[in-house]
Amino acid sequence: MASFFPLVRKDLEASRWPVGILSALIVGYMLLIRFRFPPIGLSETESLAVALSLPLIFLPLWMIWQSFQALRTEWREDTVYTLLTLPIPGWQVISSKLVGLWVEYSLLLGVSLVGALVIYGDAVQSGLRVLPSLAWAVRNGFLLYLFSLAVLSAMVVFVQLAYVIGKMVGRLQGLVAIWTLFLSGWLVDRLGLLLEPLFRWMPPLPLHKLFRLDELKQGIVAEWNVAPALGTWLGILALFILTGYLFEHYVEVND
Amino acid sequence: MNGTSPALMLRNVKKSYPRAEALKGIELALPKGEIWGLLGPNGSGKSTLLKCIVGLVKPDAGEIEIDGNPRSRCTKGQIAFVPEMDTLYRWMTVGQTLAFTSAFYQDWDQRRVAGLLEFMGLDAGQKIRSLSKGMRARLKLVLALARKAPLLLLDEPFSGIDPASRERIVEGIVREFKSDEQTMVISTHAVGDTEQLFDAVVFLDEGTISLQGYAEDLRREYGKSINDLFKEVFA
Repeated sequence: MASFFPLVRKDLEASRWPVGILSALIVGYMLLIRFRFPPIGLSETESLAVALSLPLIFLPLWMIWQSFQALRTEWREDTVYTLLTLPIPGWQVISSKLVGLWVEYSLLLGVSLVGALVIYGDAVQSGLRVLPSLAWAVRNGFLLYLFSLAVLSAMVVFVQLAYVIGKMVGRLQGLVAIWTLFLSGWLVDRLGLLLEPLFRWMPPLPLHKLFRLDELKQGIVAEWNVAPALGTWLGILALFILTGYLFEHYVEVND
Repeated sequence: MNGTSPALMLRNVKKSYPRAEALKGIELALPKGEIWGLLGPNGSGKSTLLKCIVGLVKPDAGEIEIDGNPRSRCTKGQIAFVPEMDTLYRWMTVGQTLAFTSAFYQDWDQRRVAGLLEFMGLDAGQKIRSLSKGMRARLKLVLALARKAPLLLLDEPFSGIDPASRERIVEGIVREFKSDEQTMVISTHAVGDTEQLFDAVVFLDEGTISLQGYAEDLRREYGKSINDLFKEVFA
């Protein structure tokens, strides 16, 4: 594992500039919306929603692009030679990129939220007043962050597998990668349904308790039937392991 | 380490690409402690063979053993490979590149690094992006020579290095080479500058070994230098 951290560090340092530029763009966009082009007829709270919605929608898309780009750069700059000759398991290379993306996502999300807090201080405070408490908002925000991280990780796993399989074929690499992307998504979905009976014994997850929704409004009941999702997540884990294995044992480089 | 097995053993190694048969059943056994020249013109299969040994390319058939062990993740740790390509992270500095590489190899010898950097005229603070091709080639050599790897594979290591410096670097390689614990394979088509390095040579022609033997024996047998022999074979 001692070799894992240099890999993560390398991936983080490589993305310093893109993350820095994107952070500046997010803050710049918020400042523009707030001071330069205030949306006509919108209250400050609504303007905050407009300012936050674009980064929040854009961020997951950017992360998926980055997961593709992180691998593509290794091939484009021939540094994949270095990675493939290292005496480390393939999953370390793949997961270091995943961890790097987590950090990037967290940083950019943090910039968006702190930016909103600083630029829209009053609106954020009035928005918070609608919620039961600051602690409630922080707790639920953190849970949503973890949930989004899990969903993003699944997307990254699909992209990484598609890219690696694309690199294993001599021709039509892009087409093979796109087909792999769709096929792996379909596969884990089917796996979820297939394995669902195995996990039926699991009780539904009470989301209203997890998110303390009764503090918001009495009588809300929201439950999540986790049985099909567990099979899907096991499938995603299997794809992740498969990607690492393929990277280590089957990927070739040709000039 | 197995004391009796060769440093590198290749049995019937074959590799084909869609439009070419790169290796046509290579058989080779390299004893420990020697410097071997893998010589041949462009497209003769030298790089493919080295890539097969290090694991960058999977052979279609045949066996590859490093110190008696089949190729695996562990054997990667026994090989110091200098590829012909520019495989360095361009945004790193020389120092960062050294630190990054050292994290993966137990045989990294930090005491050698300062001397090697000085010898190659490199500075730890230099950005890779700002280095010339020749300087990047020197850095790749530093990365390989700073390790006590039992097997060193150098693919066209002097490509991009000016002829005036080559001789000095060849001398440096000989100086750093530990014949009691290392074996080196140098692939090149520029034989003239490197002939003095080789204990033995393999001539590779269109994926097959056309000639092999100890340099001194070949010189005696054919009455000419390896460089002249190379020109004759590949004329």
